[in-house]
Order: sequence, then C-alpha cells, then structure tokens
Amino acid sequence: MHATLCDLITDLVQNAFEADATEIKLNVEETEKNLKVVIQDNGKGMSAETLEKAKDPFWSDGRKHRHRNVGLGLPFLFQTSEMTNGRVEIDSQEGLGTTVTFHFDPTHVDLPVFGNFTTAAITLMTYGFKGNLTIERSRNGMRYTLSRNELADALGDLNDLESLTLLKAFVESNEEELNHNDSDIL
Amino acid sequence: MAKMTLEELRNLRGSKKKEMTQRDGDKCAQIVIGMGTCGIAAGAKDAFDAFLDELNHNDVKDTRITQTGCMGLCFSEPTVEVAVPDMPRVIYGNVDAQVARRIVREHILGKSLVSDHIFDKPAQDIIK
Ligand SMILES: Nc1ncnc2c1ncn2[C@@H]1O[C@H](COP(=O)(O)OP(=O)(O)O)[C@@H](O)[C@H]1O
Ligand SMILES: [Mg+2]
Repeated sequence: MHATLCDLITDLVQNAFEADATEIKLNVEETEKNLKVVIQDNGKGMSAETLEKAKDPFWSDGRKHRHRNVGLGLPFLFQTSEMTNGRVEIDSQEGLGTTVTFHFDPTHVDLPVFGNFTTAAITLMTYGFKGNLTIERSRNGMRYTLSRNELADALGDLNDLESLTLLKAFVESNEEELNHNDSDIL
Repeated sequence: MAKMTLEELRNLRGSKKKEMTQRDGDKCAQIVIGMGTCGIAAGAKDAFDAFLDELNHNDVKDTRITQTGCMGLCFSEPTVEVAVPDMPRVIYGNVDAQVARRIVREHILGKSLVSDHIFDKPAQDIIK
C-alpha cells in the first residue's frame, strides 16, 4: 500500500498519462467527513475484461515492460478502500476514457495520512505529459485550480530549476490559503 | 505568504528567464527521477523535494529535473539518473532525501560520483 493518499493519487494520474490521454482532470475534495477524489481521462480506456484483470496485482498490460506481470496501482486503491470502508467506482469505455472515483472516510484509523499535496501537484505538472492536466483542489469549501497549459504558458520550460521553484511557491501559497481557512473554522 | 496569482508567477519568471538566456545552455545538469509505482512507494517524492531544496540552497542554476515512469529497477528504488556535462551518465539507486543532497553536493557541485549508490556502474576504470 502507498504510504500517503497523495502517493496513491499520483500513481492513478500516471495511469491516465500512460493511457495516452490528452485531457486529464484531477479533482480532490476534502471535507471533515469525506475525501472525494475523481481522476478523469480521455485515454484509451479499458474493456470490462481488461478492467477485471487490472484489479489483479499480478497483471499489467505489458506496455511498460513486456514480461512484467505486476501492476499495483489499482490494487493499492482497492486495498486501501477495503481496509477503510471506502468506495471506489471505475467507469471506463474502450477508446473513450476512464473515470476513477473514490470516497474515503478521513477519520478512519486505517486510512493512510494525506501527505504532501504540493509535491504531488508539482511532480504531476512536470511529469512530461504533453496534454492538459487540470487539478481542482478544495478543502472545506475553499478551492483553487491549476492548469498545466496555463502554468506552461506563464513559466515556459516547467522542468528547469527556476520554474520548479516558482511552481512550488505558487502551489504552496494556494495550499496555505486552504489550510489557513481551516484554522479559522476550528 | 499571500496567495500568488498566475500573473505574479508570469512576472517572476519573466525576470528570471532573462537571466537564463545570458548563460550558455549546454552547461545544464539533468536529473531524472524514476516515479513509477515502486519509485513513489519507495519515497521518490522525498528525493524530489530534497533535490529542489539542496539545489536552491547551494544556488546551483541551470539544472533540469524530469521524471520517468518505472525504470525496471524496482528493488533499488528510488532510482535517479544524473547527467552532468563532461561526466559519465550515472544511475543511482536507493536515493532517499539524504542521498539526493549528497548527489547535489558531491556529484553536481563537486564533480565526483557518489560511488556507494551507483546502480548501473560505468566502466570500472572511471570509478575510483
Ligand atoms: N486510466 C486508465 N486508462 C486505461 N487503462 C488503465 C487505466 N488505469 C489502469 N489501466 C490499465 O490497468 C492496468 C493496471 O494498472 P495498475 O494497477 O496501475 O498497474 P500498472 O500501471 O503498473 O500496469 C494498466 O496496465 C492498464 O492497462
Ligand atoms: Mg499504474
């Protein structure tokens, strides 16, 4: 299992990168009672049969490594969900895309810690994915949006040190505002 | 820190970008971090944060950090490939935050390999 929920989310968005999507939306909505995550892509999708196989940790489609038959991204998601009474829905259509939705109970003792969203967002934005990735993040009603196209337009090469450093400051300032609001409530 | 706007981001980059073009581009060091399932599970993001922090701390400019999926070296994740001009291209294994900082100081700044973490050893004669 992944150590943090942000690691799990990163892994699932990478599945969308690997599915040759050109448009990906990640939505992370936190409230005191529920964590809802939606990862929507317009990539190659899965047939019902492939989706069944994908739930098996000892299966991978063989595109990354021809003889490798371990794929842990989706099994980690199901494992975490089962351990914490969460809910997972995967809606996928071959050739059209995939939407992975999950709901976790943030108060469940077995739920991994949330982790560092800033780092997750930066690594996803600079992964080398050429399409657009939109991240919508909200916490107790406060929200912000990041769009890879807009960031690339403002920064140019996203992978050089200056861009990465500015990107980090940018995401951190947005995250801080979410958390700031949090402490107002308490 | 007040919430930064996209416009502020653009302006900050605008001034930095000018600095950049005045330097020559081929001096750029490249860091490639393996960010597949195994890399992530082994802490590749901690390595990423440490690289960013240590590079800035030492004021190393002209570095690019990119990522790749699974490098197929799952047993030694996190793995990181480092290419510094005029030095052999090296793959390091088990790169935690501390090793990432050593790579910046010893390899990128000091121009000497972090030999105890080299995964894919280049020819024996170039490692002392
Ligand atoms: N968003 C997606 N779009 C299309 N196929 C997917 C998607 N997510 C997962 N898959 C399929 O499910 C398989 C298993 O995924 P996963 O459990 O993450 O392991 P891995 O990515 O290592 O193969 C993938 O190899 C791929 O064929
Ligand atoms: Mg995967």
